[in-house]
Amino acid sequence: MGRRRRRVDREAAVGPLPEAIATLSRTLPAGPSPEIFRRAKFDRPEAAPALWRLLFHVLSLLSANGASASAAQEAQVRMVKSELRSQGYPRRALAQLPEDGSQGSRELLLALAWLLARGPLLERLLAQTRVPLGDEIPLFEGVSLVPLECDALARPSPSAPHVEADGPMDIRHLQWLMGKLLFQWRKLITSQQEQCALLGKIHTYTRGCHSDRSLGHLSVAETELLRDAEGGQQLLRRLERENARLEAALQWRCRELVFWRWMDTVLGTCPPEASHPTFLPRIPERGTGELELVARELQALQEELRGAVESRRAAWEARVGGWGPEWNAVQWASWEAVGHELAALQQAWEPGGAAAQPHGPCRLVKSDAGASRGPGLRAAQVIGVLRSREACLEAVLCQLQRQCRQELAKLAGALPGLIWILPSGH
Amino acid sequence: MLPADCSRRLVAELRDALDACAERQRQLDRSLRVSRRLLRTWEPAETPAPQPTPGPETSEEAPSPECTPSSQELKELELLTQALEKAVRVRKGISKAGERHRALSPKSGSTATSASTASAPSRASGQAGCRVSETKPPRGIQQNVVPARGLPECRLLSAGDRTRVGRGAGVTKPGPGLGDQQTPPSAGLRAPEAFTLKEKGTLLQLPMAYRKAASRNSRLWAQLSSTPTGDSVDAATAAKTQFLQKMRMTAGGPSSGLSAAEVDAEVGPLRKACSLLRQRMEEALSAAPADGVQEFHRLLTLEGLQAITEQCLHRLQELRAAVVGQQPGPCPEGRRPRASLPCGGGTAPLWSPQLLLYSSTQELQTLAALKLRVAMLDQQIHLEKVLMAELLPLVRAQEPQGPHWLALCRAAHSLLCEGGQRFPTILRDEPAN
Repeated sequence: MGRRRRRVDREAAVGPLPEAIATLSRTLPAGPSPEIFRRAKFDRPEAAPALWRLLFHVLSLLSANGASASAAQEAQVRMVKSELRSQGYPRRALAQLPEDGSQGSRELLLALAWLLARGPLLERLLAQTRVPLGDEIPLFEGVSLVPLECDALARPSPSAPHVEADGPMDIRHLQWLMGKLLFQWRKLITSQQEQCALLGKIHTYTRGCHSDRSLGHLSVAETELLRDAEGGQQLLRRLERENARLEAALQWRCRELVFWRWMDTVLGTCPPEASHPTFLPRIPERGTGELELVARELQALQEELRGAVESRRAAWEARVGGWGPEWNAVQWASWEAVGHELAALQQAWEPGGAAAQPHGPCRLVKSDAGASRGPGLRAAQVIGVLRSREACLEAVLCQLQRQCRQELAKLAGALPGLIWILPSGH
Repeated sequence: MLPADCSRRLVAELRDALDACAERQRQLDRSLRVSRRLLRTWEPAETPAPQPTPGPETSEEAPSPECTPSSQELKELELLTQALEKAVRVRKGISKAGERHRALSPKSGSTATSASTASAPSRASGQAGCRVSETKPPRGIQQNVVPARGLPECRLLSAGDRTRVGRGAGVTKPGPGLGDQQTPPSAGLRAPEAFTLKEKGTLLQLPMAYRKAASRNSRLWAQLSSTPTGDSVDAATAAKTQFLQKMRMTAGGPSSGLSAAEVDAEVGPLRKACSLLRQRMEEALSAAPADGVQEFHRLLTLEGLQAITEQCLHRLQELRAAVVGQQPGPCPEGRRPRASLPCGGGTAPLWSPQLLLYSSTQELQTLAALKLRVAMLDQQIHLEKVLMAELLPLVRAQEPQGPHWLALCRAAHSLLCEGGQRFPTILRDEPAN
């Protein structure tokens, strides 16, 4: 943030481009100086390390990875390359840069600009590094307990440090792990309940203290700020840094045009990439697992539907004697109704779908019931949505378990001379 | 016994799940520690207070000479303490005994600051003079006060402070909040009165610096979230699009199609589609049509569902093909949690948090419990699918007459059908003889 003071001095002297770049650099976490950017245009090697660091930082934040900032240079370079590729970075020159991080400043500059151009990069970065002032609870998104990208079906080896002995394993080990997981869940629930109770108390005890009337009471962070001076100072400093970055981001919106024009010239200074033949086909590790699982499910569903439709259509035709040339009005009405229903159904999963569900973290505010006016979500409403989601998921789980039961019963039934006593409740 | 690769995969999966839980537990534990500490009695700060020497973070020796010697301020201090005395007399009945911590160390310190910043008149001058003490405990001032009066200053100060707080004059300076816990005891007065949030929480006030920064923060976020409009914005958008196009064109060769990130983005909705379609199908199948019309309706529904399922499968094949044609290279290590960045569904995203109002602790607990339950169900379903994919083929493939098959079957049943919580019992039905 020392940039800002110097910038004020130089303001009269600098042109719009350096100013724009300086603004950009102030918004970015660990933004390099405008000089680095300028050198990068000419692909100067001394600009490379700073840009590798910057991109590493930015990409770790974007992917919400717990990537350690102290990773070695090579690891950082590798991470940047693979992350950009998986995002769809079009230029191949990036992959060819050496891993010691000594070159490639121009390419990295292009990569940064590419990330900036594709979406609200600065806003996302700011949101990721936001200083949480309130007691927050993420809704409907946020860290899920499911490792989404984990490809169970094609993983080479577990990444966990405590690797078990490779080799055939007793299934009881799995059962033990499962039991451990169940226990962990229960512990989580109790801890969670306690935390909520404590939060409720803190919110109640500090009611009326907040300068912001719409909030009304202090959050844990704010109370902690009052209790612990040191921590409070740190929080304040972080907040001020964030404010500076936010301001820079807003300024950037006014100044970015000149930056984009300049980037066009940067692109112009690149030698054209030779046209390569087709890429080597490869099934990447990530993604196939999930795809496969979904594919399997969809195929199973398709089978069931096919069976259901065929039998019912046959029955219908037998009943009605085939499709007449004319449908009566009722039949047309049915057809339309079904069309609407299914269209609505499709909306539920389409990306541009209607479900304008609240996203992201929410700040908890305790207010007495009756605060029906004012912005913000109401817990009761969110509870309703969560309950229906819970019911939905329970239905899915039950259905899967039912499927398994049927399958196993079929397999077990092949063996005579055994009596299976299933656990009670079924 | 399970074959090596299968068991490796399953163990990895379960360990991931355990790690995710453990991480969540760690976060919860941290929050619990903080919250519990806040609800206990607040300790006075660690450094031995009575010394006039500066505490860890402050160097009052520097500011105090600046602040204390001012005769103007001494006078004002005098005035203030008189006023406070009066206030104490008035409030004596109300305030409990010995609560110089009532306003919490911050308060008493803050009053000291306000003393130095000339409470009633020109706050500006005082403020300028003691700008340093705004963020540092004005221990120097405190010392000034202490020798001057033999009264229970702290009690005075806190009482007086209460009047200030009540008036909301905003005179209470931030200094107190930020590190002043050392001051009250530093006066070497009576034994520190315990401060508990329960009793005196409503008297807390946030420091001014924080309040300013926080309101500026929320204002900036609001500005950032508002969709920008105007010519400059359009020009910038056009420039960006053009840049992206040029990038693609210079990329030498046809684009490789979908990136991994884009594929990932589609898998989620397809999964959701599958479960919604299945749900709808089950609803349709379980309903008993009363007449021909309903039967027809049901038939159309099922056919429609079939068509949509085929569309989804088709899209999936496309994604698969795109994935296969990807460029080779090292993969990102480890797993990636769902990218949890707030993005509204097409509308302007809210980058900073919304408010979520709850009315009772019960409600909050229900909400949190449900959230956790939903996350757990998600995890359970994922594990169920993975286990099904691994165990069922094994059970099918193994020789039923083999010695281990029964054990495998029983374990599989428990894991797959009961979530690992219950077991079936298998009896051999031997003839009696």
